[in-house]
Amino acid sequence: MPDELKVNKSTLRLMKTDITDLEIDSFVYYAQHDLALGSGFGTSISIRGGPSIQEELKKFGSVNTTDVVVTAAGEMKAKQIIHAVGPRFQEEELESKLKATVLNVLKAAEDKGIKAIAFPAMGAGFYGVPLDLSARVTLGTIKEYLSGDTKVEDVVVCLNTSREYKAFQNQFSTLGDK
Amino acid sequence: MKSSNKRSHKAQKVLERFEKKLNRQIVGSLVACVHCGNCTSACHYVLANPGDPTYAPAYKADRIRRIFKRHFDWTGRVFPWWVHAKSIYTDQDLDDLKDIAFGKCTNCRRCSINCPMGVDFATFNRMARGLLVSVGVMPEGVAVVSKDQWEIGNQMGVLKEDHVETLEWLAEELEMEMNDPRATIPIDRPDCEVVYSINPREVKYDPRTISDAAKIFYATGESWTMPSEDWDMTNFGLFSGDDELGGAVARRLYEKVSELRGKKLVISECGHGYRSTRCEGPNWAGMDITDFEMESSVITMTRYIKEGRIKVDKSRNAQPVTFHDSCNNARSCGLFEEPRELLNLVCEDFREQYPNRAENYCCTGGGGAMSMSEYTPQRLKSAKIKADQLKATGAETVVTSCHNCVDGLSDLIKHYKLGMQVTQLVNLVANALVIEPRPEVPVEVAPPVAEPAELAGSKILVVDDEPDFLLFVSTVLEDNGATVLQASNGDEALKLAKAEKPDLITLDISMPGKSGIEVFEELRNTPETASIAVCIITGKPEMRQLIYNRPVPPPEGYLNKPVDEEAIMLNIRKTLKLISKE
Repeated sequence: MPDELKVNKSTLRLMKTDITDLEIDSFVYYAQHDLALGSGFGTSISIRGGPSIQEELKKFGSVNTTDVVVTAAGEMKAKQIIHAVGPRFQEEELESKLKATVLNVLKAAEDKGIKAIAFPAMGAGFYGVPLDLSARVTLGTIKEYLSGDTKVEDVVVCLNTSREYKAFQNQFSTLGDK
Repeated sequence: MKSSNKRSHKAQKVLERFEKKLNRQIVGSLVACVHCGNCTSACHYVLANPGDPTYAPAYKADRIRRIFKRHFDWTGRVFPWWVHAKSIYTDQDLDDLKDIAFGKCTNCRRCSINCPMGVDFATFNRMARGLLVSVGVMPEGVAVVSKDQWEIGNQMGVLKEDHVETLEWLAEELEMEMNDPRATIPIDRPDCEVVYSINPREVKYDPRTISDAAKIFYATGESWTMPSEDWDMTNFGLFSGDDELGGAVARRLYEKVSELRGKKLVISECGHGYRSTRCEGPNWAGMDITDFEMESSVITMTRYIKEGRIKVDKSRNAQPVTFHDSCNNARSCGLFEEPRELLNLVCEDFREQYPNRAENYCCTGGGGAMSMSEYTPQRLKSAKIKADQLKATGAETVVTSCHNCVDGLSDLIKHYKLGMQVTQLVNLVANALVIEPRPEVPVEVAPPVAEPAELAGSKILVVDDEPDFLLFVSTVLEDNGATVLQASNGDEALKLAKAEKPDLITLDISMPGKSGIEVFEELRNTPETASIAVCIITGKPEMRQLIYNRPVPPPEGYLNKPVDEEAIMLNIRKTLKLISKE
């Protein structure tokens, strides 16, 4: 099954690895409203990146669902982290909020001149967004965005497990037809 | 299902998902209760709170049962007042349910096995937890641990590099203790007989259990390995009621064993880990595990002794010990005779506590209770039953085959000042091991090929007026293959530099007679020495600027005293690399 797609001049691809250990311009962290890094990938960011990231987040205070803030990535291999507050736990209008969050990430990257971004399986797992829905909305929104005029060159959707990878790969195989 | 405009979004979502969770087992338990009260005397929460009926399993079950009656049972739809049917409407209703499902029950299943009607309260209490988690209503600790397990792959957020580093450190210690390079912890080795999976608590807080297991595997000569990733056999999905998490976690481990082509997955001592991995995991993950076997390490260790693969001396464990049955091992998996068999093989004075086996009382830390700090006071109050049970044995040590129980028991032992030790079977077996020297395996060793020393062929002039320092630097450089010339003052240094033309000069600044600054400037201004690399080594960093302010090219290297061998070599290496590049 394919795991890479050319969209205009940009590339959209899938990868199975630890997103917080990736050497890339930026990666997306599915953040909390108070922007506390917390556990999960937040643990990796705190340990691998050092305290400067949480310190930098303090200036933003609390943010709303679909909001996005960008910080440096401390001592991590990536250069920047895009903290995106997506919808969670079956909340209302989940799909449209997820789409808006993905779009806001891409726009923030555009504004900051970021050329390469890694997305996780947005909202899937702990936050309970169904994996198929996450795959459909994330990949669909990214593809739509890359079809327009953009300076973003490389978008990686970085999956943690074979379970996530298969769900995204299934969705990926239908992307070229649309 | 009836919906109401007054109902909160979360409450509505809980009801929608409730319907999907109903199966024969759950419905059987929801409709069968006759309120006989047998469960009441089975619950450690009730026994420790005799005046509070809200701890009774039947009462707690009715908080969930009434929702079922109201929406999914015809009696509750027709006669809600008669069957006490009641819906949920607000987020506060969900919070109240959370305090019961998470805070007043450890899902130990002691009430379940004492119910004459076969009501398994723990099963639908777990379902209620899962419904609450699906709308984000859960104790903070449950959220933290679940997120770690979803995203990092283990419930304590241990990163791969930390896990591997710990295993390597333990392997080094084991090799030293056994004085045998074969005593190690093989990581990611394919095609082994045993893939050993652990609880993250071991790598984070109790690495002795890993090194003890490694010692046992070493003594048997077993072909075994530990994965660098996807090694966690615990599963917080069992506690949080999130079947999706349960499936994702179990799948990671199963796929890792298959990837390594391991023949047997051995699960270290952990009650909920054993139940999740061995019993529930394949169902949650929707996988049929056929390419490897799964076994508790208790059974593995017993087998090694009975097959004569290891020898033990039980007199090494002479202190009186008692055994605490983990609820998940004993009540849910029937694993209670095996640990006793092993205990009797490795301990001299084993004393039962009563009740025991499937009737044993919970350590009170089960069901994820140790991660829910908001309920700690009521947990410790309910632990009175367990504390009395332990005290009555007169044992100094309590043994258990569960990491969760180790923490739960340690906490209550401290709280009730019992002065007992908590340990696991792996520790006792390792302590009783009689390790005979393993025969040397002749290994064909290729004759050593001498590698050229790093500084071989380099000529270095060391200039310093302190004899000790001169000797130290010269020795370091000579040990690394350099030809060393020495000078203890400026004039001597200039003379040697012109005559010998070394590749590099290490130069002290503060010297009697001609200072290092003057020597440096003269070296740079003399055509035959101008291109010689200079590394300043000084105890007066404040004079650094004087060197760099001279109207000549700056020195190639610079070091402040005191220096050690590593710093000298790093600087010399860099300086020589610079020269070779140029």
